[in-house]
Amino acid sequence: MFGSGAMTNSIAELEDSKCIFIIGSNTSEAHPLIANRILRAKAKGAKIIVADPRKIHIAFYADIHVRQNLGTDVALLNGIMNIIISKGWQAREYIEARTENYAVLQESVANYPPEKVSEITGVSVQDLNAIAEAYAKAPSASIVYAMGITQHTTGVDNVKSLANLAMLCGRVGAESCGVNPLRGQNNGQGACDMGALPNVYSGYQRVDDEEVGKKFDAAWGAQLSRKPGLTLMDMMHAIEEGQVRALYIMGENPVVSDPNRAHVESVLKKVEFLVVQDIFMTETAQYAQVILPGVSFAEKDGTFTNTERRVQRVRKAIEPVGNARPDWQIICSLSDMIGYPMNYNEAGEIQDEIKSVTPSYGGITYARLDGDGLQWPCPTSEHPGTKFLHKERFTRGRGLFSAIAFKPPAEASDNEFPLMLTTGRNFVHYHTGTLTRQSRSLDDEQKEGYAEINPLDAHKYGISKRDRIKVVSRRGAIEIKPEITGRVPEGILFIPFHFAEAAANALTIDALDPVAKIPEYKVCAVRIEKVA
Amino acid sequence: MEALKNKVNELLESGGIAGFLGLRNFGSEPFPFLFTRDTAAEVEKITTGAVRYPLSKILIRIAAVYPDAIFGIMCRACDERAIIELFKNTKLRSDKVITIGISCTDDLVQACKCENPQPSNLVSGEAGKKEFDRSDVQKIASMTLEQRFDFWTEQLGKCIKCYGCRNICPVCFCDVCTLEDQPLVKRGEIPPELPSFHLTRAYHMAGRCVDCGLCEEACPVDIPLRTLYRRVRESVKELLDYLPGEERDKVPPIQVLGDGLFEIRD
Amino acid sequence: MYYECIPTTCTYCGCGCSVVLQVLDGHLVGVLPGKTNPVNEGSLCIKGWTSHEFVYREKRLKNPLVKKDGVFFETGWEEALDTVAGKLKKIKEESGADSIAALASAKCTNEENYLMQKLMRAAIGTNNIDHCARL
Ligand code: SF4
Ligand code: SF4
Ligand code: SF4
Repeated sequence: MFGSGAMTNSIAELEDSKCIFIIGSNTSEAHPLIANRILRAKAKGAKIIVADPRKIHIAFYADIHVRQNLGTDVALLNGIMNIIISKGWQAREYIEARTENYAVLQESVANYPPEKVSEITGVSVQDLNAIAEAYAKAPSASIVYAMGITQHTTGVDNVKSLANLAMLCGRVGAESCGVNPLRGQNNGQGACDMGALPNVYSGYQRVDDEEVGKKFDAAWGAQLSRKPGLTLMDMMHAIEEGQVRALYIMGENPVVSDPNRAHVESVLKKVEFLVVQDIFMTETAQYAQVILPGVSFAEKDGTFTNTERRVQRVRKAIEPVGNARPDWQIICSLSDMIGYPMNYNEAGEIQDEIKSVTPSYGGITYARLDGDGLQWPCPTSEHPGTKFLHKERFTRGRGLFSAIAFKPPAEASDNEFPLMLTTGRNFVHYHTGTLTRQSRSLDDEQKEGYAEINPLDAHKYGISKRDRIKVVSRRGAIEIKPEITGRVPEGILFIPFHFAEAAANALTIDALDPVAKIPEYKVCAVRIEKVA
Repeated sequence: MEALKNKVNELLESGGIAGFLGLRNFGSEPFPFLFTRDTAAEVEKITTGAVRYPLSKILIRIAAVYPDAIFGIMCRACDERAIIELFKNTKLRSDKVITIGISCTDDLVQACKCENPQPSNLVSGEAGKKEFDRSDVQKIASMTLEQRFDFWTEQLGKCIKCYGCRNICPVCFCDVCTLEDQPLVKRGEIPPELPSFHLTRAYHMAGRCVDCGLCEEACPVDIPLRTLYRRVRESVKELLDYLPGEERDKVPPIQVLGDGLFEIRD
Repeated sequence: MYYECIPTTCTYCGCGCSVVLQVLDGHLVGVLPGKTNPVNEGSLCIKGWTSHEFVYREKRLKNPLVKKDGVFFETGWEEALDTVAGKLKKIKEESGADSIAALASAKCTNEENYLMQKLMRAAIGTNNIDHCARL
């Protein structure tokens, strides 16, 4: 791969791309103000390819829409690359000049002839050919993906396969091309950039690198640990085994957002000391010993980094509600009391410190963010920011091809659980609904959870739209309203994960990607029953 | 610009108005701001620029809190048309609003295809030249019924139901919005039911739409909304001889009853 | 009588649209789309247009809460922070820094995420820091 989990290119560049390949992204509902760029590209003559089992909104505007079987993305992408190589459409000079390990890729995708791939994915050979041709031959081509790619036990494999495909056609490091992950949350990018990860400081500087460690020891005046910490899932296990005794959660609601709800709840019940900092009494906060009231985005200063690496200002518009306090001030007070004073008079001073220890944010000050913000890397105060990455070279030097073999999802359907469940978003709500379900207009627009079910399946189980159904997996069961629609293919159920009382994640499996530790929210086996 | 600043300062100082709603530069960008005697120093940052926000709609909100105060408002011709309709629909009171006209650049007039860019009471700049361009409406009129159907299905199908067209529209002022009426437009899905969502809004713009184009500017998916409403506007002129915003003294032929209902006066 | 507009960034998805918060006499009364921002160019989605609505909900937590015998009680900041700091220090002394863990947030600002990892790494002394939104 070529490093960093951000969009290689910019949102605006999509508009001028001549081919856009959307996979695992319900763009119009989850990232509406990126979907519009895709529609504009189409109006300017771009070919739009959508690979998604559901007939999502953007698929109505696709030139090619394929509905691959759940969890078969690696096979699909290998099949496309197989065709590109056998037709000789790969970017030979680019591969030669900028990448390594090509022979390995060639060898591995040779095992995925179109007929075999068609069998695994359910996509016709004709469609595979059409995608390969459209992507490889367009003057510029972008890949857009989101959680439909990453939330699998093979999430990292999926991402690597997309990188393979892009490099194979010379699509990285050029305008209106690239591999573009769309972050689900407003500051998912920033949380990673700032080192809210167990193995890196801000700017992805490794904690186990002695050089980096020394730099932070000096900057922060402390003797810092060089041992990478626990990931979220590891924390859960460590709590069960009694190794972690205290957990401090700021602004997250893992009871609803994480897979296997019953397990998360048992862990939160078990942990000796739980502190939750949030603006509402969430399902997670119920388990806390202490709850600290933070504030909303309207009541504090700061910055968010969007999915195209653009750092933008958050500005305080009103005073905190009640006695709530800005989260950064709460952390400072706590730190003071623990015996490590943090002295910042305003949020801008924190950014000044971030800038001094984080090379990619090295040129970013509040003054420079006025107006359009800045896209990192922005290493110096004169640097204009970076529209697209890897222009001359990859972060790691040469782009590395990897051989990726197809592995089926952790759970398959069987006699007991004959249907497959996938989860995602609805255009009205956001994440666990903590904020959107408190918003009157949004709540009015979509009040309750629902399960999309194909008319053929509905017929088979004798379900009509006025019924309620029970959806059962190996981990739990929920009752929910059916939405009978051809949007989902036969054999597949879709449930949005925003609704705590009909929580999709009571059903989902906590099987993880071995590297990224992301749970397989997108595939599990279920059965349905009509509620009498 | 100096003339505008002077005028605003003069009105504030004389007590002729309690506040002046216009655009202020915040850093490098213009945003709506209410200039008052307490914030008179900000008048220096007043700007006209090409950026348009629905100032008249904002004024409804402020005036609701301060019903007895007199306000000045920065007015392009389209703002003024909207204000005229808001007077007629009693959302603003004509004795409580002083309009201060600003001109639009020729570029802006062209981009807006504005048929009447000349506000009254012009204080800043010269009135722009009128631009008679009906090509968008004509283009669709020249299509066959089937072509027209396909065109609108494709365009309206892009809708992501942001409600932005309604939210930004200066003459969308009902307390209860019919677009949120579940039996009429099924909620919770995109695109919203075709064509009921869009036609409902188009009907409701009859006798009200002042052709400012803010809706189309706010539409994330570039639906040619204004073309649709322009056609409605033309029909109202043909059938009921009324051009919203242009006729200060004429009683509007369609009365908005406030809860999404309306009736045609005899 | 005070009305102004404060440009800021939408709190929902990763697009990062510019939303303009309308403040009338210290109260948030509405949202407008930032017209000149290169991301959204004067448009918003349904969530952005309503992003101010949850701010004043009665259900907002307005005071720190401490649980006693299974029931939450409102308390002052001093007491709540004292409880947290005291307990964390005690657990660190007894079981070491690695027995403490934290989750930062993809909904909080960069500054807050930065401080949270600094708190864990420098003040507590562990790298047990993660967040819930792994992409
Ligand atoms: S052009 Fe659009 S925004 Fe302007 S008045 Fe007509 S409908 Fe409303
Ligand atoms: S502004 Fe455009 S996308 Fe939004 S509701 Fe109106 S027509 Fe639909
Ligand atoms: S307005 Fe909509 S598209 Fe834009 S950042 Fe907010 S949630 Fe995302």
